[in-house]
Amino acid sequence: MFERNAESLPKITLERAAAAKMKLENFYQLNVSHAVERNQRRVELESRLANERGSEERKHRQLQNLGKKESTFLRLRRTRLALDDFHTVKVIGKGAFGEVRLVQKKDTGKIYAMKTLLKSEMFKKDQLAHVKAERDVLAGSDSPWVVSLYYSFQDAHYLYLIMEFLPGGDLMTMLIKYDTFSEDITRFYMAECVLAIEAIHKLGFIHRDIKPDNILIDKDGHIKLSDFGLSTGFHKTHDSNYYKNLLEKNPSTGPPRNSVMVDAIHLTISNRSQIQTWRKSRRLMAYSTVGTPDYIAPEIFIHQGYGQECDWWSLGAIMFECLIGWPPFCSETPTDTYRKILAWPETLYFPEEIHLSHEAEDLIRRLLTSAENRLGRGGADEIKAHPFFDGVDWDSIREFNAPFIPKLSSITDTSYFPTEDLENIPDAPEISAANEAVAAATNNSEETELSKESMPFIGYTYSRFDYLTRKNAL
Amino acid sequence: QQQIAQVPKPLFLSQPFVRTALVKGSFKTIVVLPKYVDMGEWLALNAFEFFTYLNLFYGIISDFCTPQTCPSMSAGPGIDYTWLDMSKKQIRLPASTYIDYVLTWTSSKLNDQTLFPTKAGVPFPLHFPMTLQNIFKQMFRIFAHIYYNHFETVVHLSMEAHWNSFFAHFISFSKEFELLDARDTEPLRELIESFEAQGKV
Ligand SMILES: Nc1ncnc2c1ncn2[C@@H]1O[C@H](COP(=O)(O)OP(=O)(O)OP(=O)(O)O)[C@@H](O)[C@H]1O
Repeated sequence: MFERNAESLPKITLERAAAAKMKLENFYQLNVSHAVERNQRRVELESRLANERGSEERKHRQLQNLGKKESTFLRLRRTRLALDDFHTVKVIGKGAFGEVRLVQKKDTGKIYAMKTLLKSEMFKKDQLAHVKAERDVLAGSDSPWVVSLYYSFQDAHYLYLIMEFLPGGDLMTMLIKYDTFSEDITRFYMAECVLAIEAIHKLGFIHRDIKPDNILIDKDGHIKLSDFGLSTGFHKTHDSNYYKNLLEKNPSTGPPRNSVMVDAIHLTISNRSQIQTWRKSRRLMAYSTVGTPDYIAPEIFIHQGYGQECDWWSLGAIMFECLIGWPPFCSETPTDTYRKILAWPETLYFPEEIHLSHEAEDLIRRLLTSAENRLGRGGADEIKAHPFFDGVDWDSIREFNAPFIPKLSSITDTSYFPTEDLENIPDAPEISAANEAVAAATNNSEETELSKESMPFIGYTYSRFDYLTRKNAL
Repeated sequence: QQQIAQVPKPLFLSQPFVRTALVKGSFKTIVVLPKYVDMGEWLALNAFEFFTYLNLFYGIISDFCTPQTCPSMSAGPGIDYTWLDMSKKQIRLPASTYIDYVLTWTSSKLNDQTLFPTKAGVPFPLHFPMTLQNIFKQMFRIFAHIYYNHFETVVHLSMEAHWNSFFAHFISFSKEFELLDARDTEPLRELIESFEAQGKV
C-alpha cells in the first residue's frame, strides 16, 4: 500500500499545489455554471420564440444571434486584453495609486472606465488573495448598486480594471459644486446609499471606506458604489499605527484636547471662502496616498474588531457633509481628524447657524455614535425605518427620477469630471514611475518572488455573460 | 512469463486512486458543443483552458522532473517520445526539456493571432483543426509522462482527485471532437477504459 507523505515535499510546492487545486475547483464550478446558464438562455429564447408569431426566418435569425453572442463571449474569455486594445479618451479621475480613464475599445468602439493600480504598491500589502476573491464575487454580483467590473488584466507594472463608465461623476465633485444639498435631495442620496450599503453587506462585504468620492453617479443620476474589492484598505493606511507614527513625528500639533476644540470652533464659521479652501484640499487629499480618514468609523482605528456597522458611521458622516457643507470631524490635517474621530463624543458638533430638521440631526447622531448603539447594527431596516426617511419608496427608488440628471452630449462626455485638474496626467499609465516603484520593491527579495508569481496568480477575469450582454458590454 | 504478470500495476491504475475524482458524473455535459455556438470558438476556448491548467499542474511537478529523474520523455514501459528537430530528425530529450518545448510551442500557437484570433470579426484559419490535433497530441504526452513518472508526487500533494478529473475532462473533450486517435492514447488506454467504465468520459 502506497503511503501518502506530504512532509517529504518542500513547503513552496505544497503551497503551489493548494493554490492550483483551488483554481481548478473554481474552474469547474464556473464551467458548470456557464453551461447551466448558457442552457437557460437558449431554452428561454426557444420557448419565447415558440410562443411568438412571426416568420420562421426571423426566429432562426434570433437564435443565430444568440449563438453569435455566446461565441463572442467564448472568444473574449481567451482574449488576453492589453493596454493597447484600448485608446484613452480622457483621464477622468485619480486615486492614490493610479488613475481612472475614459477609454474606448479599439475593435468594438465600446466605452469603458479603466482604473489602473500600480502593482508594486499592492504587493507591499499582503492582500492580493483576499482582494481577488472579493473581486470575483463582485464581478458576478450583478447588483445595480455596485459599479460593474467587466474585465481585468495586468502587465508587469499595473493591474487594469475595465468597468462600466458612469458619466455623472461622483458625489465629492457634486458637493464641491453645490456646497450643500437640501434635506430632500440629501434624503434621496442617503436612501440610495442605504440600499447600496445593504446590498454589499448582503454579499458578505464590509466596505470600510465609503466616502463621497466612492459614490458614483450613473447616466440617470442614480448612485453606484465604486469597485471596492480592489480599492479598499490595501493602499491607504487606515490603521492606528500609521496615525500613531504621525503623532509621534509631529508633536508640534499640540496636545489633542486643545487642538480638537479649536478646530471645531474654527470651522463653524461658515465662511464660504474657507469652505472652498477646504474643498480644494479635499480633492488633493483624494489624490494622495494618505487619503482622508474623514468618513472612517472610530472602531476601525482602534483595532478592536469591527463589523458591518462601520459603514453606517460613514453614511452618517457623509450625510452631515451633504447638509452642513463639510464632514463632521474635518480638520487641517489627517492626524487631527483622526484624533477628533476617536474623541467623537466631545467633537461632534452641529453649527447653530445651519438649520437642520430634528429628524435629520437625530439620524446623524444615531449613526455617528458608538458601534454598540449605532442604528443599522441590527440591519439596514433599522435605518430605513427612521423618520428622516418617511415617505421613501424603498422598493423602486432606482426607477424614479433622480434630483440631478446628468446632461450629456455624447457617450464620451466628461463634463462631470474635474478633467482640467488632471490634464498633466499622461494618457497612458507611466512606465517610468512604475519602474521606479518596482525597483524599490525588488530591493526586498520576498517581494521579487511575489511579483514573479503574480502573473499566473491574478490572470484575468471576465464578468458573466448575461451581465456583459445586458449591459451591452459585448 | 510469471514474472511479467507480477509486475505491479502503476499506482494510478490501483485502488483507490483509479477511482478518485474531484468532479462527479460525466464530463459529457460540459464538453458537447452548445447549440448555435460556433465550433471554432468552442474548440479554441477549451484548448486554451486545457493548456492553462496543464501548464499550472506541470509547474508544480517540474521541480521533480529533472534530466536525472527523467532522462527521456517516457510514458510507461517501452514508450519514449522523441522531438522532431529543425531538420525533422527525431531526437531524444530529457522529459523536462521536451515538456518545456511543448509548452512553449503550444503557448506560441495559442497566442498566434492568425491561428487563434481574438480580435472582433477575424475568422479561424482553414487548417485550424489540424493545429488543434497536434496541440492535443502533445498535451496528451505530458499527461502520460506525469501519470507514469510523477503520480506519486501528485498523491503526496493530494492532487490525485483534481488531476484525474482534469485528465478525464481532457479525454472526454478529445473524444467528442476526435482530436486524438487510438494510437495517441494507447499509453493510458487502461485508465481511459476505466474512466469509461465509471461513466466519466
Ligand atoms: N466606473 C467609473 N466611471 C466613472 N468615473 C469613475 C469610475 N470609477 C472611478 N471614477 C472616478 O475616478 C475617481 C477615483 O476612483 P476611485 O475612487 O475608484 O479610485 P481610488 O481613489 O484609487 O480608490 P479609493 O476609493 O480606494 O480611494 C472617482 O472618484 C470617480 O470620480
